[in-house]
Amino acid sequence: MSAAAAQAQAKNYLTALKDALHEEMERDPNLVCMGEDIGILGGAFGVTEGLLDRFGPLRVVDMPISESAIVGAAIGLAMRGKRVVVEMQFIDFISCGFDQIVNNAATMCYRSAGKVNLPIVIRGPSGGYGGGGPYHSQQNEAWFAHSPGLKVVCPSTPSDAKGLLRASIRDPNPVVFYEVKELYRKRDIVEEIPDGEFLVPLGHATIRREGSDVTVVTYGNMVHFCLKAAERLAEQDVQAEVIDIRTIVPLDEETIRTSIEKTNRVVVVNEASRTCGFAGELLARISEFGFELLDAPPVRVTRADTPVPWVKPLESAVLPSVDGIFEAAMKVVRY
Amino acid sequence: MNSESSVVAKQTDAVSDTESQSLRTRDQLAPADHLEILRQLYLARYFDVRLIKEKRRGRLRGTLYSSHNQEAILVGTLFGLRPDDWISPIHRDMPAFFLKDMRSGWNNPDRKGMSVAEVCAQVWGKEASPIRARDNWSHIGSLDKGIIYSTSMLAATIPVAAGVAFAFKLDGQDSVVLTYNGEGATARGDFHEGINFAAIHKLPLITIIENNQWAYGTPVELECPTEDVADRAKGYDIPGLIADGQDVLDVYDKTMWAVERARRGRGPSIIECKTFRAYGHGDHDDDRAMRYRDAEEIERGRSRDPISVYKRYLVEAQLLSAEEADRHTPENRDALQVTDDDFPPEVIAALKEAVEFAVSSPLPEAEEAFRWVFAEDAE
Repeated sequence: MSAAAAQAQAKNYLTALKDALHEEMERDPNLVCMGEDIGILGGAFGVTEGLLDRFGPLRVVDMPISESAIVGAAIGLAMRGKRVVVEMQFIDFISCGFDQIVNNAATMCYRSAGKVNLPIVIRGPSGGYGGGGPYHSQQNEAWFAHSPGLKVVCPSTPSDAKGLLRASIRDPNPVVFYEVKELYRKRDIVEEIPDGEFLVPLGHATIRREGSDVTVVTYGNMVHFCLKAAERLAEQDVQAEVIDIRTIVPLDEETIRTSIEKTNRVVVVNEASRTCGFAGELLARISEFGFELLDAPPVRVTRADTPVPWVKPLESAVLPSVDGIFEAAMKVVRY
Repeated sequence: MNSESSVVAKQTDAVSDTESQSLRTRDQLAPADHLEILRQLYLARYFDVRLIKEKRRGRLRGTLYSSHNQEAILVGTLFGLRPDDWISPIHRDMPAFFLKDMRSGWNNPDRKGMSVAEVCAQVWGKEASPIRARDNWSHIGSLDKGIIYSTSMLAATIPVAAGVAFAFKLDGQDSVVLTYNGEGATARGDFHEGINFAAIHKLPLITIIENNQWAYGTPVELECPTEDVADRAKGYDIPGLIADGQDVLDVYDKTMWAVERARRGRGPSIIECKTFRAYGHGDHDDDRAMRYRDAEEIERGRSRDPISVYKRYLVEAQLLSAEEADRHTPENRDALQVTDDDFPPEVIAALKEAVEFAVSSPLPEAEEAFRWVFAEDAE
């Protein structure tokens, strides 16, 4: 039964997150989890399942529907030496806690001249393609990337989900952590994850596919879209190099630069809407450091500048697609 | 202002909740405590007067939110706290930063409150400020001294204070948190979200509402639909006490009642302290505030100076002679009309030293502007 045993070790994205929470709660008695329905229910998606039974209601706190109070209370707990993981039931709801995040948590270290560090992770399910409509489909990381003092993380694989969540929990700064809910239970995206002290440090991109013709820079669910597009590009003899930045803040510019030095062409992809999305920031930086490296104007692929509509034909019309990424890369390559 | 009957009714509700608790903690104060309370009232008043004058001379940056006429709330709420209790003052509460734990000795370096000098260094925007003057005036704090850093978003400190209170519960500690806000901030979601959470978990959180009748240019009746702001407590099934904000001992008694209740794990309270804002919202608003408020309202609102209310009590209780009471009389006068001669010498000396310290401290260097966006590695 060794094959079956090995099979059992393979973890999906959600289980990887759950394991990370259990292991960190076990490791650090000062860690507290707060959020809506995270205790008795185990979380709307089940990421916090089992925590209440193991760690009790003072460390796994079922909070009232009060996102601002949840983040505010996390700040207060952190001021008393706790680490806190806050769950936003959907990352869309983070807007209800916006002030406490951007005006309070993000600026605390700065305002206190470094005396107050707030080790808080605000995590939650993000992204479209599930028919969630305008309030269960957002990918609003740009709001927080635009607020100095926050780290912003968006893993694309089970092992990164686990390793980055553990690193985020141990980080002394507030971190907004975007989980791709479409990947939570995806059957074809499972990985064996090393046991023990497995961490993925923040600020390090990874190359998901090597290639020499065009660099595709992305993160989150879009990594998988880009990899599919890269397969189709390969059929056209175009070798795309797919970079998963993994953390938006801090950003690993070096990996991007090294790749563009090789390919001299770049496509940037983010799932969020176009104007002031993080893809725009990536293009700005690439233009600043790499204008002379480029053999073609860079292109970005994003959601349209619309909310995310509910029914399938409308949702598909505005969100990035494998086709769209393929075409963008071909355009850059053929320039 | 509040009617006597409503005060009594709220007290009665409160008493039935925990009969054993004293509603007159003041009876345990020693004569020396009373004189210390008076000294603290003088100090808070003098600090405000001094800043008003410094601001008028153009020596200070930012906005001065005068605490004139509201000092009894600060002294009365803070006097009975333990050093390990926490507070979160707001913009109008500048004296709170040094009044906290002042009972442990004005010049005691180990006391759990800021020194007057540190607070002045902050007001003057100098490097010696506890936050190296990176944010203005009241946005200072100290984890060591139990003072929560606030932002300009009023009521935002209440969820944070609730988090600190939750940590006390988690750690099995019987400290309490006092958070301050004006009546206007009780309209914000954070007020309700924070108190709701605290009430659910019976957290040791006491919310002091300084009801000075005006939220910038908006009167209380356009901020709050209930007769008393304290009535907001009903929705959370917690005590909503009303204190006479001009009477330091009434504030003290109500605070200590709520504090003792919280220490016993009985949960949060709201204390509405009725008062009146003597000047504008900030010093930029002083002139307009004389126009958007009736002259009669202003006169009535300033008619019960907390220093004179307290002196009257002390004289009647024979804790102070009439002669001593008249020795220094900054009360019932406009800030610009009082001089150093109107305050006791120890109060003048405390401020003089603090201001000299602040003035002599250098400005922070420009390159500091780029530091501490994120936690820096241990140096």
